[in-house]
Amino acid sequence: MAIENRVTYPLDEAVDFVIIGSGSAGGILAKELSVNGFQVVVLEQGPFRTAKDFTHDDLSVFIFGELDGGGNQVHQQTFRQDESEVATVTQQAPARYAQTVGGSSVHYTGNFWRLREVDFNERSLLGPISGTNFADWPISYAELEPYYTRVDWEIGLSGAPGPNDSFRSKPFPLPPFPIKSSGVLMERGAKKLGLHAQPEPHAILSGPLNGRPACISCGFCMGFGCEVNAKSSTLAAMIPDAIASGNCEIRAECAVFRIDTDDKGRADEVFYIDPDGNERSQKAKAVILSANGAETPRLLLNSASAQHPDGLANSSGFVGRNLMYNSHGAVRSVFEEQLNDYKGVQVSRIVHDFYESDPARGFYGGGGIDARPFMAAAPLLFSLAGGRPGGPSWGADFKANLEHDFTRSMFLFGSGTSIAQDRNNVTIDPTHKDRWGRPSLRITYRDHDDDIALAHFLQDRAADIAEAAGATHVWKQPVEHQSSGPHLLGTCRMGDDPASSVIDKYHRSHDVPNLFLCDGSSMVTSGRGQPTMTISALAFRASEHIIAAARNNEI
Amino acid sequence: MSSDALTRRFFLQGSGSLAGSALMRAGIPAFAAVSQAACTAKEESAAYENITNAEAREIIALAARILPTTDTPGATEAGAVYFFDKAFGTFFADMAGPARGMLANFQSGIAAAFPGAQVFSDLSESDQDTYLKNNERSPFFFGLRFLTLAGVFGMSMYGGNRDNIGWKLVGMDGPPHAWVPPFGYYDAEYMAAAQGEQKDGN
Repeated sequence: MAIENRVTYPLDEAVDFVIIGSGSAGGILAKELSVNGFQVVVLEQGPFRTAKDFTHDDLSVFIFGELDGGGNQVHQQTFRQDESEVATVTQQAPARYAQTVGGSSVHYTGNFWRLREVDFNERSLLGPISGTNFADWPISYAELEPYYTRVDWEIGLSGAPGPNDSFRSKPFPLPPFPIKSSGVLMERGAKKLGLHAQPEPHAILSGPLNGRPACISCGFCMGFGCEVNAKSSTLAAMIPDAIASGNCEIRAECAVFRIDTDDKGRADEVFYIDPDGNERSQKAKAVILSANGAETPRLLLNSASAQHPDGLANSSGFVGRNLMYNSHGAVRSVFEEQLNDYKGVQVSRIVHDFYESDPARGFYGGGGIDARPFMAAAPLLFSLAGGRPGGPSWGADFKANLEHDFTRSMFLFGSGTSIAQDRNNVTIDPTHKDRWGRPSLRITYRDHDDDIALAHFLQDRAADIAEAAGATHVWKQPVEHQSSGPHLLGTCRMGDDPASSVIDKYHRSHDVPNLFLCDGSSMVTSGRGQPTMTISALAFRASEHIIAAARNNEI
Repeated sequence: MSSDALTRRFFLQGSGSLAGSALMRAGIPAFAAVSQAACTAKEESAAYENITNAEAREIIALAARILPTTDTPGATEAGAVYFFDKAFGTFFADMAGPARGMLANFQSGIAAAFPGAQVFSDLSESDQDTYLKNNERSPFFFGLRFLTLAGVFGMSMYGGNRDNIGWKLVGMDGPPHAWVPPFGYYDAEYMAAAQGEQKDGN
């Protein structure tokens, strides 16, 4: 990308905003604040890759964690199911996210579901759930809708409304992607069962938009960066404008380890390790933390001081609590003819008939089901993990199955709600440190019984769809308690009551008036399993309020 | 990637033995660790750079049991051994020593089990399968399977997947990877039916 108007700010002069993280929220905030004339320094721990750096190299991406900063032996994140256990460094990171400018928006699959009205006020509608922090949001769908629409048009979405979607003030800017074989089969199965398959909304361009090109249907979306900038990452859609404003400095490979406050309790300095391993700090008039739902609470907890002994912005004790991964249940199926689903975007049809929670099911929760190739999009991944369940894993029969199944496989993913609980949280590991020497992220997580029940329910419905579509083979993947996830939600929730939330409904910390938090951590409920659309809309909304406050000298 | 149990299982099994390599610590593209001169699939006659001819013979025999040559090409034709060779000189260099130890340990039981044979490549294919099956829960087998599959299905710049044999084997077109729909049988049928309806409507 041609980047003009690069700016460099001195470390010891306070810039208007330091933004920590450049992903789905940080990238949007960086653009909005900088094009509105504010000085912005973005600190991103990953490198500044651009489209030309992205490949189809599944060995590097899936095995070596090229875009994730390496594997968990590097990150040293620890996991335990219960606080009575000593957390250990797991092989797969409990909090999975990309370390690169643009954050996880670079490697995401681009499934962009809006929440519905019900996601914001479900606690009032259904009543409390004992032993949980199930709560309403302090904002409604109607308040967020204009910002969902901004995401549609400014980040760049392709899609068409489904029969039960919440209202939208403007149509999608681009039509949905053509239906794939997996979509045809899902539609066929759904129709037989009286369900509705609807087009998947994507943060990937089905046609040119905002100076960016259409998708070339290479099929390497999930986990990969897009080599043509058709995927609507903040790297492609926001960062170039931020830099072109002449007001935004992106400092890549800078790992923040502490936010300091002055004697008035205001955030005034952000400390980080620079690319050469030196400790640096940037003075700031205000700080925005958009590091994701795991790293944002970790940094707040690692910023504990005499003034803030339990961590910054944590007078409520809610920093790090209520982690939600979203519930998941998967089905694998094989069909007689070739789907060749490795071509094109992952998902073309979804079923949202089970979105609402239904007391008749006997548990709380709802979700959606999508049809996709999943690992049958990349031969290496498929060969390593795509052998038939219970079937051979090597030899002639294994090979024959690979030859048959790679082009004939469909995965159905059920994704849905997780319930917010105190016990599921992000804390600081007492012994481990990451490669920058920062005390490690520790995740404690055990799905709520209702989350597990929902995973089974969605999986059963997905299996029904595959069977009705005429699959020759259908396997249900074991539903297990999750120990890792890319959806990191709820850990610094927004709310009106400072005793039970970390930020107000404009993303301002209840405790530190010039500190704003905006990312998955802000979410009060988990939605139905594709949170990034909401994180992006929250970022547009937050930026509008932060700009207004700054202009009124109210920060 | 909302992938839960599948990816979890894969990574638990898949990345364990890779942990701690210098490459992972740096988080850099794997191919950056591979020398430019060697960034192509190797011809069958090419010399090995990091393994001996004797080791190569055993690797070829072993990889051929993971993905045998049948009526279609297998690990041998894909040149998977050249992936092993490159890996042990670059991104798995720190594992070359342990891998040699595991191979020696694996081979050490052969003479007793199959009188007259010394090494794996001495055995008939049937005996090879029997012996390998008895070892299929070992770390050695895990590493063998991983490296073989990476050598067949990984990008050819890593030395294997000669002429994209691995991709052709599973029915993947290209490179280049860029397509226009219809992609498969069912969407083609759907599209044809939609066009038929349109004509009928006219």
